[in-house]
Amino acid sequence: MKSKENTTKSNHNLPPPLAEKFLCWFLKAELAEEVLGDLDEKFYSVLEKQSPFRAKINYWYQVFNYLRPFAIRHSITGNLNQYAMFQNYVLIGWRNLLRNKMYSAIKIGGFTLGITACFLIALYMRDELSYDQFYTNKGNIYRVYNEFKNEEHDEKWLSFPASMAKIMKNDYPEVEKSGRLIPYDFFFAGGNQFRRENQEQNTYEEGFVYADQNLLEILEIPMIYGNQETALAEPNTIVISRNKAEKYFPGQNPVGETIILNEEVSRPFKIGGVMENFPSNSHLNYDFLLTLTGEEFWEGEQTTWGAWNYNVYVQLVDGTNPLDLEEKLDAIKETYYVGYLRETGDQTLADVEKYQKFRLQPVPDIYLRSTGMHDIAKTGDIRFVWLFGVVALFILLLACINFINLSTAKSANRAREVGLRKVLGSYKSHLISQFLTESMLYSLISFVLGIALAGLVLPLFNRLSGKSMIFPWNEWWLIPFILLCAGVIGLLAGIYPSFYLSGFKPIEILKGNLSRGSKSSGIRSTMVVFQFAISIILIIGTFVIYRQMQFILNTKLGYDKEQVVMIQGINTLGAKQISFKSELKRLPEVQNVTISDFLPVEGTKRDQNPFWKEGKSKEDKSVGVQKWQVDEDYISTMGMKIIDGRDFEEEMSSDSQAIIINQKMAHELGLENPVGVRIQNWQVYTIVGVVEDFHFESLKGEIRPLCFIKNNYGSIVSVKVKSEDMKSALQSVTAVWDEFAPNQPIRYTFLDESYARMYEDVQQTGRIFTSFAVLAVIIACLGLFALSAFMVEQRRKEISIRKVLGASFNNLFGMLTFNYLKLVLIALVIAAPVGWYLMQEWLNDYEYKISITWDVFFIAGLITVIIAVLTISYESIRAVRKNPAASLRSE
Amino acid sequence: MKETRLGDFEETILLLVGILGEEAYAFKIAEEFESQTERPVSIGAVHSTLSRLGDKGFLKSEMSSSTAERGGRRKRIYTITASGQSALAASRDFKLSLWKQYPDFAADNLNWEILS
Repeated sequence: MKSKENTTKSNHNLPPPLAEKFLCWFLKAELAEEVLGDLDEKFYSVLEKQSPFRAKINYWYQVFNYLRPFAIRHSITGNLNQYAMFQNYVLIGWRNLLRNKMYSAIKIGGFTLGITACFLIALYMRDELSYDQFYTNKGNIYRVYNEFKNEEHDEKWLSFPASMAKIMKNDYPEVEKSGRLIPYDFFFAGGNQFRRENQEQNTYEEGFVYADQNLLEILEIPMIYGNQETALAEPNTIVISRNKAEKYFPGQNPVGETIILNEEVSRPFKIGGVMENFPSNSHLNYDFLLTLTGEEFWEGEQTTWGAWNYNVYVQLVDGTNPLDLEEKLDAIKETYYVGYLRETGDQTLADVEKYQKFRLQPVPDIYLRSTGMHDIAKTGDIRFVWLFGVVALFILLLACINFINLSTAKSANRAREVGLRKVLGSYKSHLISQFLTESMLYSLISFVLGIALAGLVLPLFNRLSGKSMIFPWNEWWLIPFILLCAGVIGLLAGIYPSFYLSGFKPIEILKGNLSRGSKSSGIRSTMVVFQFAISIILIIGTFVIYRQMQFILNTKLGYDKEQVVMIQGINTLGAKQISFKSELKRLPEVQNVTISDFLPVEGTKRDQNPFWKEGKSKEDKSVGVQKWQVDEDYISTMGMKIIDGRDFEEEMSSDSQAIIINQKMAHELGLENPVGVRIQNWQVYTIVGVVEDFHFESLKGEIRPLCFIKNNYGSIVSVKVKSEDMKSALQSVTAVWDEFAPNQPIRYTFLDESYARMYEDVQQTGRIFTSFAVLAVIIACLGLFALSAFMVEQRRKEISIRKVLGASFNNLFGMLTFNYLKLVLIALVIAAPVGWYLMQEWLNDYEYKISITWDVFFIAGLITVIIAVLTISYESIRAVRKNPAASLRSE
Repeated sequence: MKETRLGDFEETILLLVGILGEEAYAFKIAEEFESQTERPVSIGAVHSTLSRLGDKGFLKSEMSSSTAERGGRRKRIYTITASGQSALAASRDFKLSLWKQYPDFAADNLNWEILS
């Protein structure tokens, strides 16, 4: 090594050429010789004592130390000279801003609004996109899902048999870990009465799920107490969240404590750990994880392929291609599932073999890319994220257009300055940079105001969008981000006006030939049309969303959701349920009472079952049916309609075999006269009645087959209140409840409220759209106002002369407004089809929807026209009513 | 008007120029500074000070004749001007007069105990 170094010394031990080049680039030419010489000497003196590497580093250090004013050549510091010019640009810009206060206010105000909207939307998008991005191993964790895809169906769902996770882990070396989750209402999963073993008072808690020990590790759930590797390893253990630990075990380590659920004293749970609360941007949000270790819900449940209740998460070995693994997963279907179907003689076998696939979804994709997945977790929609982003950009664009329009319209006022600057030797490039500097000045002021405004209205926006975002005041990137964006926006808005203004010919200007501001009115008109088109599209969107929401809230559902109170958690009453129900029925305010966990709103129990006509289970394909357990009062309490046959009867013991189906189910089973027909799933039922179809799921999907069987037990009692006086009815109900369950506070919700909550996302979209539309209209009107004011100012003398010659108020007003009104009407013509198309796309998500009628466009157009006329008329009327003498006197 | 006061670093550099005589050019001065004060300094910093002292009229400089070393590049040799000399002298006299006013100038008479 040493000898080699010596032989290559001549190459190796020269001062670094790049550093020399750099030095020669910035150093004054007259200093080059002595400095290069000095540094050379220094380099070799270092080289004698230290390594070549150190010598080179030192050379670079010396070079950088020559970056001093005395040594740097003037052509580089030349921009220091321009600095004075730059100062002048800012000064002139500032004076102009102050001189035309109204126009400046409109430019800056529009910008500010646009930037506020954009920034809030950017925060919103950032929040949506941040979901499930925090796992250190996020590239390797997946959720398994089913896909059933053929010409008619495209279904995706998440539930699997209990053994799926274990099979994946055992049969595939690519799977490092697998874990299961039961997020559905299932035994203890869902909501429970909760108490510490050594206390008596029960509290109702929600957010219980069953989870495997492995899930803690796969989802990297951070633990505060207890061990991530063992917290759920023992049977009958539970992990609780930090929130709940602080609530029930303040200031202590609860690991090892015992808790009781639903008064089932025979089966206590031991706390195995405390986990950190799930972050708000996780697709999961639970407070209690019950272990699946040693859990078998009924005999054979852990091995059967007939009960699908588990969600499965897997962690793959680093570098596994999920697509390859998906292909291999077909083997599981062949060996286990198809085998099971063959054994039971299920007719869906052929379809399953052909169309069903087990697939993998990356966990970071769950929140935004689960469209079409049957999932009970709250999800966003990537399409809306982008849609909002685009709309926000458009709003910013509207503000930029205002800036451009006003700058070019007012150009006449700057023309002399341009002419003079040119005469005095300014290049076009100088003028361009002057006007760009000015637009950056505006943009920067607006950005500061806009960001401040965004900070102010963030709480309001949070309420609109149902989020809890925090303003990133403390983030390091905020200031550079603002500066960068202000620069880009300033450039965008300033580039056209600056080229336009700098293009004036000095001779023409100084001779006074420039027609004042009328030039390029074509482009200005186009931009006004564009602004109003966008505004009208947003107004149309707002209308359609609002109407769809009204439709959802008021549509005939097939049941009566008004005046129904759902009292939850009555399962703890046990056998006393029946007497509780009859006590309630005796209240004068109460019309009817029913006990059932199955209700036609989201968040209540669901139960999917295959059904066949009796004896046809080996021949026909099954019909997937919701089987709801209800009591004999259910149909009358809910106000549903029996259209054939009869309701359940209280006394009839034979009704344990009776079943009531909905129209859809009768249709799917191919029954013309269903009453009396016997059908089966695991047991045989006789159809005694047909209920009219009612909506029990979101209106996004069509009504599916459903049936009722009789049962008297549940955890929710629904009370239909007779009188209008809900308050006193609730008091009486509460009194009855307190008699039955003194240790458990009453908990109730209203059916109509639960129903409305199902459509919260629609309402949110609607509210956000409304605010967008309002913003767009305001910005567009600001621009229109300024433009019309400018035009009126230009035509002041013309107006006065016309008035003197006898023009009426109406004549003049019409003359001044019509021009702009025409633009708005053109915008309407452009916007209507675009708006119609976009909203049709949006409505396609819904099976039950409104049709977009012509009056939507009419009203949207009318609103815009009225607002536009009002905007223009302020200046027009002022101009027309002015005494003509005032403006003609000086001639 | 040019500033004609002498800063501390400037004074040191000026003295070093005097000490080095014929060898007073930026690299040598920087080396000398480092070895005498045991403080690191970059050539650029020294050069910048030299040029400032030149502006103040305390130094003048000339290019030397070229030699084989440094790839045949010439050096800029600095020499102290008369006003440089008098500035140095003024600075020294000023400090001496201050020291004379200092009570019990003789070091062994200083009563360190009072301070501690």
